Amino acid sequence: MTRRRQLLGVMAVAALLGTAAVGCGGSDDGASADGSVTLEFAQWWAPELPAGSFDKLMTEFTAQNPNIKVKLLSGPYASTKQQLVSGAASKTLPDVVGLDGAWVNDFAKQGAIADLSALMTDANYDQNQLASQIQIQGTTYMIPVVNFVYPLFVNNDLLSKAGVTTPPSTRTEFLDAAKKVTALGGNVKGWALPLDTAVPNGIQNDVMSWLWASGGTMLTKDGKPDLTSAQVKSTIEYVKSLNDADVIAPGSLTMKEQDKVEKFTTGQVGMVIDSLAHINLIKKNNPSLNFTVLPLPAEDSYTGKRGIPYASWGIGVADSSEHKAEAFKLVEFLMSKEKNAELSTLANGFPGNKTAEPDFSNSDPLFKTAFDIYQAGYPANEFVGLPKSEDLMRSFDEQLQLTLTGKQSADHTLSKAQEDWASVL
Amino acid sequence: MLTRKRRRLGAKIAVFTGLCLGAAFAGLPVVWMLSTSFKPNGEVFAVPPKLFTKNFSFDAYTAILSDGAQLRFFLNSYVVALSVTALTLLVAILAAYGFSRYEFPLKKSINAVIISVQAVPPITLVIPYFGLVVTLGLYNTYPGLILTHMVFTLPYAIIMMTAYFNTLPKELDESVKVDGASSWTALWRVLVPVSVPGMVAVGVYTFMISWNEYLFALTLTRTDDMRTVPIGIQLLMGQHSYEWNQMMAMSILGSIPVLILFLLFQRRFIGGLTSGAVKA
Amino acid sequence: MNSAKLDHAPPAPPAPVAVVAPQTRAAPPGRARRFLAKSGAPFGYLSPTMILIFVLMIIPIVMVISYSFKDNVIVQQNSVFVGFANYTTVLTDPDFLAALKNTFVFITVSTVAHLVLGLGFALMLNTSLLSGWTKAIFRIIYILPWLFTVAVIAVIWRLMLDPSGVVNYLLTTLGGMQEGVNWLSDPGKALWALTFINIWAGFPFFMISILAGLQGISGDLYEAASVDGAGPVRQFWNVTIPQLRPVLISMAVLDLIWTSQQFALIWMTTGGGPLNVTEMLSTYTYKQAFSSYEFATASAAAVIVLLLTMVLAFFYVRLQKER
Repeated sequence: MTRRRQLLGVMAVAALLGTAAVGCGGSDDGASADGSVTLEFAQWWAPELPAGSFDKLMTEFTAQNPNIKVKLLSGPYASTKQQLVSGAASKTLPDVVGLDGAWVNDFAKQGAIADLSALMTDANYDQNQLASQIQIQGTTYMIPVVNFVYPLFVNNDLLSKAGVTTPPSTRTEFLDAAKKVTALGGNVKGWALPLDTAVPNGIQNDVMSWLWASGGTMLTKDGKPDLTSAQVKSTIEYVKSLNDADVIAPGSLTMKEQDKVEKFTTGQVGMVIDSLAHINLIKKNNPSLNFTVLPLPAEDSYTGKRGIPYASWGIGVADSSEHKAEAFKLVEFLMSKEKNAELSTLANGFPGNKTAEPDFSNSDPLFKTAFDIYQAGYPANEFVGLPKSEDLMRSFDEQLQLTLTGKQSADHTLSKAQEDWASVL
Repeated sequence: MLTRKRRRLGAKIAVFTGLCLGAAFAGLPVVWMLSTSFKPNGEVFAVPPKLFTKNFSFDAYTAILSDGAQLRFFLNSYVVALSVTALTLLVAILAAYGFSRYEFPLKKSINAVIISVQAVPPITLVIPYFGLVVTLGLYNTYPGLILTHMVFTLPYAIIMMTAYFNTLPKELDESVKVDGASSWTALWRVLVPVSVPGMVAVGVYTFMISWNEYLFALTLTRTDDMRTVPIGIQLLMGQHSYEWNQMMAMSILGSIPVLILFLLFQRRFIGGLTSGAVKA
Repeated sequence: MNSAKLDHAPPAPPAPVAVVAPQTRAAPPGRARRFLAKSGAPFGYLSPTMILIFVLMIIPIVMVISYSFKDNVIVQQNSVFVGFANYTTVLTDPDFLAALKNTFVFITVSTVAHLVLGLGFALMLNTSLLSGWTKAIFRIIYILPWLFTVAVIAVIWRLMLDPSGVVNYLLTTLGGMQEGVNWLSDPGKALWALTFINIWAGFPFFMISILAGLQGISGDLYEAASVDGAGPVRQFWNVTIPQLRPVLISMAVLDLIWTSQQFALIWMTTGGGPLNVTEMLSTYTYKQAFSSYEFATASAAAVIVLLLTMVLAFFYVRLQKER
């Protein structure tokens, strides 16, 4: 009797674990009995928008499409990325996903995200209204919803205190201004350069941006790396000269993007290249900071249009989604003239729909300034759509760090990076 | 006699100084954390740094405690950590009893497997593990997280419990069995009641591991209603900025349950380790 | 002592008594039946553990091993068997070898420091010179680092070690240093700074375990030693250390294993930089998988790491058995 009880007890525990392991199974395809569909939408946007505003947009979408509900899966950028990578690997991506241009190639190759060209055709969608589409071999996989440009942010107070009267427009002027700001002493430095290799975005935003601002490119016409060109070399040598002049905030080799924003916000650096999306954040954390945005300085002799780096909130649909048509409805909604403008205004970004007009009236005047800079130049980000772009940035970063620490020449760095990139591209 | 007293005093001062130095090493970062949690964000990098700010406020704490989403993280952490602790104890007691009181084929090998499971670097398992958990339908569920944490807490728990049972004389359970009771009864009626210190040690250890676990809690959940405190803290570290004060406030709040647990059980915890791990 | 067993209650009875009860009750003792009677109960007790570990540990490990022999796993549908090619790639990658070296430095220095600090603090906390209350308060301060999740530990230390953070401020104003140090971004210091953070984060558990060990040492041993005329130093070396030896060794092995698994702390403080000086096996594997999408080489690296830690685990198992 007791023996049986003992066995029962043990089996109960085993069964408990067993059911826990299997019981919650059963696939959830998001369709419920009343014929309505629930879409899962993973993105990092909601946390960056004013609280509740993205949920409100989704409620409006459901009001327009009563049988489609949206479940937002929100997280910060970095963890969204890790989750999407894991999800792509196991074919369990949410129906609609927020994408960064840097991820598209890899997800498309893994077959994790759907061919949007086909979905657009199925839905008779007018593609002409889209400002851009991210394509891999002629097929669209991502549509940029909102674009954020990266102008030069300058702290007016620090610059005038340092005696810089004209805003720097060339590399020489920038170096000069940075030197003067650094000469103020204390903890203040002229510029911040985040080169942390965990998230090596600094290569795109803070290093290659110098190249693009002078009309340069890091790739050949057929998409091969072209890092040993004179223009890339002059960019790297310029960054090195800033480093040698000791105008870069200390700790740059492991500095993260957040640290850069933090240092600018607290007045520890005079100038940074940063996303326009950060205007609100900087103002919130330090309301008294007197700053403005400028076009990125170019090479002294350069007179052409300046490339201005940008990042996008892109959107894509999971290939494994069982509700692709409904998912595309959500894409259409976010890209519609009116809603796209609304979202852009909320996010301080530029709309992905050409016809959408963001409302400048209630937003920061700096936003208007940036829009003018944007229109005077052209959006440039050669990392968008590249395979393993994060890896490319990282290998470049590692080589650049060697140059900045004086361990190898700029030439050596570029030829090494060229070699690394050539094996991927 | 006098010199002896003096020497004793000297030793006392030396030990006390040593303890204070050690306490500074262990405690100062926590003091700074506490201080930061009361500052407005803009002041975090103020020069010179101040331990006490004029703008002292509990804003960060109220922000956390009045935010339903943040409270949900705490709830999730409690559900997960308490379940992990209870289940780990249950399963470990059973296994430890098997190891401590029986001889059976493959005993050594099974024991070796369980012990070496500790050596598996979690990071290496993330990818296949993720797929497995999705296949089992456990993705983004409490059971998924609970069972995962158990895999990591069980080996050490089993080692400690086995060691603890080994310190208890076999005659103890034999005496009950002579009266006709089964081994099952002997375990629960006799062995378990006298093993409370060992169970406390295992329990506190398990709770701490589960409460603070980060990598899998991040990978195996995707909605905020399933995420735990460590992830909540990390969410405050956005892509663009740090909410220093809230992050610190949340970690202080998050450490309180563990601290209380330790305060309540420190005697038994250390006692349990003494008779368990030590005599293993 | 090669018939070592975990179950070691001094002179174990020749035939485990536990088996007697079921056996006497069992009907005609057939061979299979006897086996079952003998091992059914212990396997019953072990079954939850075994099921859990098999499903959630052995299966993923087998999956990782199988990935490591293929090419383009996960990323492409049809991956091919490539033998040891991934292993060759990993083992000839200078970054991997650097990570191996860094990991070695990181885990040995951390473990030795944990051992020394843990022992030192535990001895002080075990002193008879101070009152119980004083010791209790110190005990609580000393376990503080253990209470925080690794995300916070990374953040608080980044905050304090920032070039314009509080540590540099104190060093330059009070410590008379000329200028601040880039603790986490100077290639010459980053690994040491990171190791220091890990030492801070990890010593409490060590200390508590050693303290528990100290409290388990019988006072008679010290009395006997002092009768023999041994001073505190000789008592330490002749009584304390030999008595603690098993705890110290098994904690050290466990710590080596646990430290080698440290990922989040490194990722959130230095990310493996600057110049890869803090690249560890864990961050290397992570980058291979999540940034290069080379799941096959990541798996090969994982298997190598697994084999290395298994060596440690082997020693640990041996130790457990010897006792």
